[in-house]
Amino acid sequence: MPLMSDIVAHYQSQFEQHRNAWSWSGDHSWQAWRQAGWNAFVARGFPSQRQEEWKYTNLAALEKLLLSCEPCVPDPLIWDRLAPQILLPTAQRIVLVDGVFMPQLSRLQELPSGVKVEPISAGAQRQGVYLRDLLQQACHTTPFGALNTALVSEGVWISLEPDAAMLEPLLVVHVTTRAHRATHGVNIIELADRSKLTVVEQSIGLTDQPYFVNLVSRWSLGESAQLEHIKLQQEGERSYHIALTQASQQRSSQLSSHTFALQGNLGRNDLQVSLQAPGAFVRLKGLYRVGGKQLQDIHTSIRHESPDCGSDESFKGILADSGRAVFNGKIFVAPQAQRTVSQQSNHNLLLSDLAEVDTKPQLEIFADDVKCAHGATVGQLDAEQWFYLRSRGIEAALARTLLIEAFALDIVASVPAYPVRTALEELLRGLIHE
Amino acid sequence: MSLKAAARLLKRAQREFTGNETRRVDLGFPITQNGMKMLIINNLHAAVGEKPILKGIDLEVRAGEVHAIMGPNGSGKSTLSNVLAGREEVSVTAGSVQYLGQDLLALDVESRARAGVFLAFQYPVEIPGVGNVYLLKAALNAQRKHRGLPELDAMDFLALVKDKMKLMEMNESMLYRSVNEGFSGGEKKRNEILQMAVLEPRLAILDETDSGLDIDALKIVSHGVNSLRSPERAMILVTHYQRLLDYIKPDYVHVLAGGRIVRSGGPELALELEKQGYSWVAQEGQEAQRGSGNATHE
Repeated sequence: MPLMSDIVAHYQSQFEQHRNAWSWSGDHSWQAWRQAGWNAFVARGFPSQRQEEWKYTNLAALEKLLLSCEPCVPDPLIWDRLAPQILLPTAQRIVLVDGVFMPQLSRLQELPSGVKVEPISAGAQRQGVYLRDLLQQACHTTPFGALNTALVSEGVWISLEPDAAMLEPLLVVHVTTRAHRATHGVNIIELADRSKLTVVEQSIGLTDQPYFVNLVSRWSLGESAQLEHIKLQQEGERSYHIALTQASQQRSSQLSSHTFALQGNLGRNDLQVSLQAPGAFVRLKGLYRVGGKQLQDIHTSIRHESPDCGSDESFKGILADSGRAVFNGKIFVAPQAQRTVSQQSNHNLLLSDLAEVDTKPQLEIFADDVKCAHGATVGQLDAEQWFYLRSRGIEAALARTLLIEAFALDIVASVPAYPVRTALEELLRGLIHE
Repeated sequence: MSLKAAARLLKRAQREFTGNETRRVDLGFPITQNGMKMLIINNLHAAVGEKPILKGIDLEVRAGEVHAIMGPNGSGKSTLSNVLAGREEVSVTAGSVQYLGQDLLALDVESRARAGVFLAFQYPVEIPGVGNVYLLKAALNAQRKHRGLPELDAMDFLALVKDKMKLMEMNESMLYRSVNEGFSGGEKKRNEILQMAVLEPRLAILDETDSGLDIDALKIVSHGVNSLRSPERAMILVTHYQRLLDYIKPDYVHVLAGGRIVRSGGPELALELEKQGYSWVAQEGQEAQRGSGNATHE
């Protein structure tokens, strides 16, 4: 075993103290499962910028934070502060606060038939083996994915039976209220054949003190299943938000995922999609927005493993002040994945001389009959457009805001679910006009 | 009588015409009436980068008048429009521009617009993501606010815009598209005049509004412009071709060459240009430059 750094030693003490504390994972097989995650984390170590995957994202500050994941009992009264941030107040929702399922804050009474939404702690006792298998695959591919397996306290398990459909959006809300807290959570979404779901995932911070949210999501889409996913990162000003999402798609399934990394000190989203059977299609879109000394890092990987699949990817960034962003978009096309159609774009708007973005398309194509396009731009506001708006009497600052808004709302326009789209538009307008 | 002599007579006539001086209301928006001096350009020199483009423009425009500014490519027509609209790439090196008694050049772009100056762009800009209706509303309300008027509510605003759209024979669906995005050349120019109709400027500058228009679109655009002619409003048509002037009759025609107005006259001057082309003008432009060159040495 390599020499253990201070931070790894700290996490180890957390691991030793709390590994048996979570009620759902006391039995022996869960312990072995956690141990495997821990071993994988130790083998990888805490990431550094010497590693290609973390080249532009400096985690030195997170490395110095000695955070606690000790089990806690959240106060339901935080609802007063949380409620205004809930995107769709009347939607069905599951709420976790500081890594604890909060039935009093959730609304799960009106789920359609064939749709099950429950905390992992409930599912784990009933279907432990199944869940462990499901999560095992995710745990070892990234250091924080492995750490998540070792320390996960709670999560959300959504499963739809064949042909089940939930047309109204379902909200999954992760909230952090405590300073110096590390929350390791999971989200599982299983869509059986031909089922359909719209899910909005909100990560909300209600403290301005440092904390760390580490999420692992596993999605599986059966034949002709449709998942529409929208993620809203609205973390606190000194937060660290790291999320790994892994999706696998069967024949003719459709996945649409929009990531909005809007607030928070440092965010890292790894989105890994595997297209495994003909006709599968994925659309990955997103918007990141940084100011001050914030950083957002988006790493995507789309693997075309089968012929006749499609992917459409577009991320946009707005960078102000000394904000930084990273976009790394990997497209892998396996030798058998003929007739792949893939498109990727990344556009960045720099509003300051000090802002910086590192954007990198990464195409690995081993099939010969494919259409793969990609493009990346980094630019400033268009002077002509600005002049045009002002020449109509619109004040310079407002004209600038309108142009930033137009750049950003383009990503929202492709959100198919109407109530989510309008709520997002309003939220983004509010943030940009701030 | 030579053209030069005619222009001199005309200028004298203009000087002798005593219009009412500008009156300003407290709301900050000028009330204008027929014959009032609206724009006085005096010895205007302007450069783009290091390159001098305008080399001493003199022009007076009164309320109710339509002036056409013609000239060959590179004569400075668009630069003149851009100086008036406040484009920052053009730097004024000498001279002055008075608009309704105030120094136009001291105002920023949006203040000029709010004071009633409107530029119809030669190349209207596409702004993906900003709805056409949103721009119209934001612009109108910004201008109304400046004039101390309440913002129009959504219903009144839509009624107003739809009314103006009929005038421009525009499909209502264009309201909900992004500004000029994917519009044809003709649609873009119609959209410019629609904005003008909604914003009701005091001084409208139409920069090559006829360029890129087929004959049907030209008729629609001209009809729109003509319907906006009024005793309180002045217009400057900047155009290369006489064609536009068949549909919008100017009161005065000025010929720009080498950065100066080398001829002024009535509508018949445009016809003469159409017959003779611009070559003679270019010659006069050179002479004018030589003249100004000598003058500076004296």
